[in-house]
Amino acid sequence: MHTESWQSVGPSLDECIKCNICTSYCPVASVTDLFPGPKYAGPQSQRFRENGQPHSPDHSVDYCSGCRVCNEVCPTGVKIAEINARARAHMAAEEGIPLRNRLLGRNELLGKVGSIAPPLANFGLHNQLSRVLADKVFGIAQDSKLPRWPKGGTFGKWVKKTQDQRLKSDKKVVYYHGCGTMYYEPFIGQATVAVLEHNGYEVIVPPQNCCGLPLLSNGEFDEAEKYHDNNVNKLVGYARDGFDIIGTTPSCTLTLKEEAPELLDKHDADSTDLKMAVWDIFEWIRERWEEGDFRTDFRPINMILPYHAPCQYRAHRVGKPALEILQLIPELDVRESCARCCGSAGTYGYKKEKHLIAMAVGKELFDFVAVQGPGVTMTASDTETCRWQIELGTGLPSRHPIEIVAAAYGLYNLESRQLTN
Amino acid sequence: MLDLVVIGAGLSGLMAAYTAAQSGLTVRVINKGLGSMHWGAGTVDVLGYAPDAPEKPVQHPFTALANLVVQYPDHPYGLLSSDEIRAGLASFVALTEEIGLPYRGSAESDQNLFLPSPAGAARPVYLAPEAQSAGDLSRSEPMLIVGFKGMRDFFPDLIVQNLAKQGHQARSAFLPLSLVTDRIDANTVHLAEALDDLERRTRLGHELKKLVKIGERIGLPAILGMNDHSVVIADLERLSGVPVFEIPTLPPSVPGIRLYKALRSRLLELGVRIEAGMEVVSAEMTARHNGTPGSIQSVISATSARPYKHRAHNYLLATGGILGGGFNSDHTGHVWETIFDLPLTVPQDRSMWFASGFLSPTGHPIFHGGVVVNDVFQPVDGGKLIFSNLWVAGNILANADPILERSLEGSAIVTGIAAGKAIANL
Ligand code: SF4
Ligand code: SF4
Repeated sequence: MHTESWQSVGPSLDECIKCNICTSYCPVASVTDLFPGPKYAGPQSQRFRENGQPHSPDHSVDYCSGCRVCNEVCPTGVKIAEINARARAHMAAEEGIPLRNRLLGRNELLGKVGSIAPPLANFGLHNQLSRVLADKVFGIAQDSKLPRWPKGGTFGKWVKKTQDQRLKSDKKVVYYHGCGTMYYEPFIGQATVAVLEHNGYEVIVPPQNCCGLPLLSNGEFDEAEKYHDNNVNKLVGYARDGFDIIGTTPSCTLTLKEEAPELLDKHDADSTDLKMAVWDIFEWIRERWEEGDFRTDFRPINMILPYHAPCQYRAHRVGKPALEILQLIPELDVRESCARCCGSAGTYGYKKEKHLIAMAVGKELFDFVAVQGPGVTMTASDTETCRWQIELGTGLPSRHPIEIVAAAYGLYNLESRQLTN
Repeated sequence: MLDLVVIGAGLSGLMAAYTAAQSGLTVRVINKGLGSMHWGAGTVDVLGYAPDAPEKPVQHPFTALANLVVQYPDHPYGLLSSDEIRAGLASFVALTEEIGLPYRGSAESDQNLFLPSPAGAARPVYLAPEAQSAGDLSRSEPMLIVGFKGMRDFFPDLIVQNLAKQGHQARSAFLPLSLVTDRIDANTVHLAEALDDLERRTRLGHELKKLVKIGERIGLPAILGMNDHSVVIADLERLSGVPVFEIPTLPPSVPGIRLYKALRSRLLELGVRIEAGMEVVSAEMTARHNGTPGSIQSVISATSARPYKHRAHNYLLATGGILGGGFNSDHTGHVWETIFDLPLTVPQDRSMWFASGFLSPTGHPIFHGGVVVNDVFQPVDGGKLIFSNLWVAGNILANADPILERSLEGSAIVTGIAAGKAIANL
C-alpha cells in the first residue's frame, strides 16, 4: 500500500474548522442518505483511520464520487477528496476488489480486445441480454452508457495510415491521447491533430499506455503503479528534451500530473519531469493564445452550445480554459453550466448500486441543458465519460471542445465527426 | 488582458467585481474556497455596537457612525462620506431587488432592526433579507417559534426563554422533521432544498395553520427554500394566514448561500466568472523604488502542475484578514499578509494579540489590525503608495474590529463598492 507519506494530504485534515460548507455542496450527499457527506467521510473519519487501526470506521466513503466539489468550496483547503480516495484504496485492499471493479479498472484492456473485431464486440457488449447479465452478474448498471468500438479502427491505426500526410515542422508537441481516444473515439484525436497542425505544430504520437486512473479510483494501487511507471519510461525523454505533452482527456492529464504521483507517492525526478511537461490541451491552447501564438481564423458557428467543464478541471485548478477559447468563435453562443457534476464521475455511474445516484446528481446539469431552449442541438464537455453521461441524460449528442474548434477552422464536420479533407 | 482580477469571493470582493463590471470593465474573481457569506446570518450589519459603548446596541447607526469616525478617523468608514456609505448600501438594496432576494431595513428610517439570533438574543442589523425582517423585535405581534423534532442546530425553547427574558411574547412548538424530509440525516441546506418541493411546503403550511393563533407571527429556522425561497415564504404565509419569518441557524447559513448564489448568477450575466479553488501562492511584482510605486504583473495560483498566472491591469485584494485567511502567522507571533506581504498593523508579538478575557469588551488587537489604505483604497506604507495597480477592500482593512462592532457586511459592501468605483474611474 502506498499510504504512508501522502505528503500534502494528511496534514490538511487538521485545517478543518467543521463549517459543513463541503457537505452543503457535495452533490452526492444532496441526493442520498447512503453518503453522509465530505466532512464526515473525510476529515472526521480519517481520525480513526490511522495506521494500526483495524478497519475504516465508515464504509460509506465508497459512495464518494471523487468529484472534488468539496475541495473547491472548503474555505481552509482540506484535501477531502484525496482523503476519501486514500480511504477507498485502504478498504479495497482489506476487503478485496470485486471483479466488476477490476473490469471497470481495465478499460485499456477492454478497448484493445474490442478493437480486434469491433462489430462483434459491439454486439457482444450492447445486446439486451448481455447488459442484463452484466447488471446481474457483475453489477454494471444496465442503463449506463457504455462506449462503442468504431468501425474505422483505432486512432493508432489512423496515425500510421496517414503518416505521409502529417505536417513536419520545427514546432513540435507530443500527444497523449489516452485509451478513450485510442479505442473508442479516434475522431477526437483526428480533430486534435488537425487543430495543432493548423497552428503549425508537428504532432508526435509516441507509444503510451493507460494513465491508470480507473485502477486508482477503484483502489488497485499496485497495478496502477505499473501503468504509471510505463508511461514515465515512455514519455520522460520527451519531457527532458523540452517537449510539451498535451492530452485531450482532463482525467488522464490530471493523473499524469498529480493523481498518480500523489496517490502512489511518486515524487522522483522522472515523475516530476513528466508532471511538469503535461498540459491539458485547452490549458496549453490558452497559454499560446495569451502569447498571441494561436490562430483565431474561425468561421462563425451559429448555435447555442451548453458547455459543462468536467470535474477534473477542479483538480487541475486552471479554471475553464476550453470555455475561454470557445468564446472566441464568432456567433457561437456558449452557455456555461454551473452544475456541480454530471454524475458519472469516471466509472462511478457504471456501478449498479450507484447508477441511480449518478443520474440524480446529473439532474442539475440535464435541467440546465433543458432550459437553454429547444434550439439546442448538442452540448460540449471535455471528458468522455462526462459526454456519455450527458448524452444519456439529455438525449442530445455531446462533443469535445476540440471538435468544435476544429469545426470552426473548417477542418471537421460536427455531425459525422470526420475531418473534412 | 483583463481589466481587474479580484482575489476573494466574499461580499467585498463580489461587490467590487459587480461595480467594476457594471462600468464596463472585464473582471474575474478568484478564490481559495467559500467563506464569510456561508457562515454569517445573511444579514447586513452596518454598526451594531459603538466601540466606546460596547454594552449598548446601536439604535441609529448613522448617528453612531458620525461619532465613530470623529473618534477614530482611521476607521475604514472614515475613508468615505456618510453620503457615500448611504449610496453604497442603497445600491446593494437595489441589486438585491434585481436578483430576486430583496433586502429590507427598519420601517423607521435609518434605525437598526433588532432580530432574534439563533439563541434568542436581539441582534442589531441594518438590512435583512425580507424573510428575516418580519422577525423585528420592535414589532408587537407575539411570536410562535416552530422547530422540527430531530433537526440539529435549532432550539425553539432556548430562543423563547431568552426572548421572554427580554420582555417579548413568544412560545414554542414542534413539528416532525418528516414533514420536511424523508432523509435520516440532513443539514440546513438539504432541508431548504427539500422545501423547494411544492407538496412538502404545502403540507408544512397546513400544519402551521393548525398551530398558530390569530395575531401571532411564526418564526422558523432559515430553511425556507433554496432556489424558490420567495415562493416558499409566500405559500407559507398564505396557508398559515400570518406573517412568517426566518431565524438564522448555526452554519452552514442558508440565507448566506442564497445571497452568494444569486450574486454569482448576476455576475455571470455581466461576464464575470468566479473561479473557485484557486489558492494564490505568489505574485510577480516590482517593488517601490526611488519614489515610484511598484506594480503587479500577475498573481499566481497553484495548479495540478505548473503555476497559473492571472494577468490583469489591476488587482483587488479582498481576502478577509485573519478570519478569512488573508493573513498567516507563525509560532513566534509574526503575522503577514499572504500574497503581497503588505505591511500590517497587527501586533507582531504573540502576547499582544489578545486582550485578557475571551469576551473582552475592547476586543482583541489581532482582529483590529490589517492593511492601511489611502482614500481610494490603495495600500500605503507611511502614507506612500506601495503598488500603482493594487486595491484593498473588506475585512482585511486596518483599524476596525467588524465582529465587535457588528459592522462586517456593511463595511465589506461599502468599501468593496468604493474600491470598484475607484478602479473604474481610472
Ligand atoms: S468545508 Fe473544509 S473546513 Fe468546512 S467542514 Fe468541510 S473540510 Fe472542514
Ligand atoms: S469528492 Fe464529491 S462526492 Fe466525494 S465527498 Fe467531495 S463533493 Fe462529495
